[in-house]
Amino acid sequence: MSRLRCAFLRLPRLLLALIGAALAAGGAAPRGGEAMATIPAGVYRPVSRATTDPETVAVAAFRLDALPVTNAEFLAFVVAHPRWRRSRVSPLFADETYLRHWAGDTELGPLAPPDAPVVNVSWFAARAYARAEGRRLPLLAEWELAAAAGYATPRGRDEPDFNRDLYAWLARPTPDVLPAVSSARPNIHGARGLHGLVWEWVDDFDTAMVTGESRADAARDQNLFCGGAAAAASDPGDYAAFMRQALRSSLKARQGTASLGFRCAADLSPP
Amino acid sequence: MKTRLLVVHLVAAALLLPAAPLLRAADACCHAPLAPAAPLPAASLYQAEADFTTDAGAGFRLAELRGRPVVLAMFFASCTYACPTTIGDILRIREKLPAGLRDEARVVMVTFDVERDTPAALRDFRESRALPEDWVLLHGSADSVRELAALLGVKFKREADGQFAHSNLVTILSREGEIVHQRAGLSGGLAEAAAALESAIGVEAGKP
Amino acid sequence: MNSIRPSSRLPGLLLAALALAAAPAFAEGPSAVVGPVHLPPDVAALPVEQAVLASPPHVPPPITRRTPARVVVNLEVKEVTKRIADGTEYTFWTYGGTVPGSFIRIRAGDVVEFHLNNHPSSKLPHNIDLHAVTGAGGGAASTFTAPGHSSQFTFKALNPGLYVYHCATAPVPMHIGNGMYGLILVEPEEGLPPADKEYYVMQGDFYANGAYAGGGLQTFDTPKSIDEHPTYVLFNGAVGSLVGDNALTAEVGQRVRLFFGVGGPNLTSSFHVIGEIFDKVWLEGGNRVAQENVQTTLVPAGGSTIVDFKVEVPGTFILVDHSLSRAFNKGAIGMLKVSGAADRVVYSGKEVDAVYLGSAAEAGSVAAKRQDELEQKIAAEIKANPAIAGLAKEVRIEKGKQVYMQNCFACHLPSGEGMAGVFPPLAKSDFLQADRERAIRIVLKGLSGPVTVNGQTYNGVMPPQGEVLNPEQIADVLTYVTNSWGNSAEPFTVDEVRKVKGE
Repeated sequence: MSRLRCAFLRLPRLLLALIGAALAAGGAAPRGGEAMATIPAGVYRPVSRATTDPETVAVAAFRLDALPVTNAEFLAFVVAHPRWRRSRVSPLFADETYLRHWAGDTELGPLAPPDAPVVNVSWFAARAYARAEGRRLPLLAEWELAAAAGYATPRGRDEPDFNRDLYAWLARPTPDVLPAVSSARPNIHGARGLHGLVWEWVDDFDTAMVTGESRADAARDQNLFCGGAAAAASDPGDYAAFMRQALRSSLKARQGTASLGFRCAADLSPP
Repeated sequence: MKTRLLVVHLVAAALLLPAAPLLRAADACCHAPLAPAAPLPAASLYQAEADFTTDAGAGFRLAELRGRPVVLAMFFASCTYACPTTIGDILRIREKLPAGLRDEARVVMVTFDVERDTPAALRDFRESRALPEDWVLLHGSADSVRELAALLGVKFKREADGQFAHSNLVTILSREGEIVHQRAGLSGGLAEAAAALESAIGVEAGKP
Repeated sequence: MNSIRPSSRLPGLLLAALALAAAPAFAEGPSAVVGPVHLPPDVAALPVEQAVLASPPHVPPPITRRTPARVVVNLEVKEVTKRIADGTEYTFWTYGGTVPGSFIRIRAGDVVEFHLNNHPSSKLPHNIDLHAVTGAGGGAASTFTAPGHSSQFTFKALNPGLYVYHCATAPVPMHIGNGMYGLILVEPEEGLPPADKEYYVMQGDFYANGAYAGGGLQTFDTPKSIDEHPTYVLFNGAVGSLVGDNALTAEVGQRVRLFFGVGGPNLTSSFHVIGEIFDKVWLEGGNRVAQENVQTTLVPAGGSTIVDFKVEVPGTFILVDHSLSRAFNKGAIGMLKVSGAADRVVYSGKEVDAVYLGSAAEAGSVAAKRQDELEQKIAAEIKANPAIAGLAKEVRIEKGKQVYMQNCFACHLPSGEGMAGVFPPLAKSDFLQADRERAIRIVLKGLSGPVTVNGQTYNGVMPPQGEVLNPEQIADVLTYVTNSWGNSAEPFTVDEVRKVKGE
């Protein structure tokens, strides 16, 4: 009985998959006029850093997807690149969490609405997607600079409603079904959902020389890590930044989580 | 970009079904030897697409290492703390092997410092340190280096003074490119690494 | 794994372990997977059991075995939204779905295989630092786990005691402040003495982005946490989690044991059970009874205590943090309801209810008569007991000094010496000490006209103090001045003052 029902349910899903694939194959996908936001040059101040690290990182202006990559877009990618399908992906590049909320290799299913951000993707998969699009993942400093912007000013931390939304999202467990990417309110640069939808991969996510023991990292273990020194917090009150740092340092490149997606970036003037 | 990838997959599908493609079609003509036709194990690092250049200036892909066990470490030439120790440790791991097995494994060193450690600079490094000729010193694009580091679990970060903070990891790869052992840190663990390497040498490719 | 050729030099067991360790690990540097530990044969031979975890306020049953075991603990990290106060919800981060987290009970000498499973719906990575673990970080680095992943590590329980465990992921105060703590009991090898009831209670401070029971869904407030201004101080994660139908229960004659811990992140608890005395306290959760007959025991953040007490009489006994604003205003209240027969000699209950008006009672009324009788009885007892009488005089002098330093010192000076020719001295004053009633009268009603004090004539005006000071204060201040600066006299009594006042 349940098998039969499954067979019936499969049909529309397959159609959906094909539609998704067709949409994405058509090119720039349904991103309308807000395909990419331009993030002006700025300065990123790491929340905690080794004493040998620079206090600030200058970031050149760059372009960043206005929205995180959706299930429909990622579906089009795996349709075009079968080696990134769930059943075929090498365990070297993705663990068993890879696209686990999808109904099948090329079927999204009820837990993965086409317009919701794709999650359960590994860093390798996110990079492969970006490369296939002729783009790249943003660097950590780039992403943080873009995400520091508020709804109305370049410094969201000073906007009460921005902080309220940020911490409200951080405090909520991840729902089974994520909302549509378009539900996120744009920041002053036009990028949506940097906070409030999903965590996002960055290209250099694993640069923190931490051991997973946050309290010991004030003194770096010279045996395990060459170079650097004690980590010092530039602003120990910026809990949201610590949470992003903790999340990133908990990840391995082949892992995904149900609340981790990504978006692509590009240099401002392509060479 | 898209077109090239498409070609890759068509060729791969034709040659290697159902395994993932090993090589880029565009590069396949220019490198010898071609990887053996047998599919790589699921956990083989040799599936990586990263591109490197040797200190002799030749293009190099990790898949070319297939067939012999590998001792692999990441480093940068101007490192004055851990990297010289790591090189010494690799030599000591080799010396712990029975005499007849010492030349069975290849040593591969990949630099983090993609800006300064050009192939020519690596050549100078080899000469100044009198490294054995069969050691492979590799330079790669920032992209390739980051991908390899992610595969190995090596964390690295360029610091304000141009030096690099990095994990101290020596990795032993099987003949098929699987990680069989990692030695973390700068002290101890040489005997274990040598034992793992000896095991890897003792296994003929493709014959478990 | 299957590609390792057996070597004659390696015993089979070691080889098996090596094979496991050599499996492709996708190691992530030092925090990395180092592979299962190679258990020596004596450890590998131990019986394996799954730990039975209990949700608060319950405790797993005592361990009856008298030999070590390999205990497998599976603990799930889950972020959940639950009631924190009436009409108000809060997003808690939990070990096992509850605050505090599941109670873990093992025995000293056990080898524990610990699995930390971070639920896929978790927003964040988490880990666990078990204070029962001997090893850097207490397991924190080994259990740092991304959402939807699981970590495993092994430790040997070397030290018996009651230990806190908690999340140690940055920002640590937030993880603990959202409820990520619990207790692990490492029973001593011989076990704990038997108890009839065992309960699990933990205190924590919560920093919500709203008022106490302010309604709606509340979440963690960073500035309040940094300032250590908690919105709630709670037992077991919610206002009322241990009251009414949720109260702890016991019967008269039973020995009750509380495993009490403080998760923090910031506050220390002055743990007290109103109307009970802890017969035994395993101070700070250590493994021996360090003190008996304790009213309030101090439990640090990240610390614990075990308290035992036999309940002798029925009633509701209130658990509080005796820093009482936390109990009265922030929720730190629990209840132990004891049922059974009353013992009115141990505790009678209220025997009499009568009117009491103190000195405000109308003269001749029943209340005033009772008050007078009481005062006379007390005065007689004081008089009959020289030790108490001496003490009473000292107290009078001390109180009188306070009166003097507010009302008298400006003229007579703190030294009692007065000002020659203007304000007469009290120190060594013949005038003062010559006549007790005159002294009382002057204080009550003032003085004008010439007086001679110690041979010198003064002609000033002292204002009356009878409207400013009550008879008791006048008696006190006179006792003070006649017993200071070289003066010496019997203490003045209220009766003496009243007598002069009534003239």
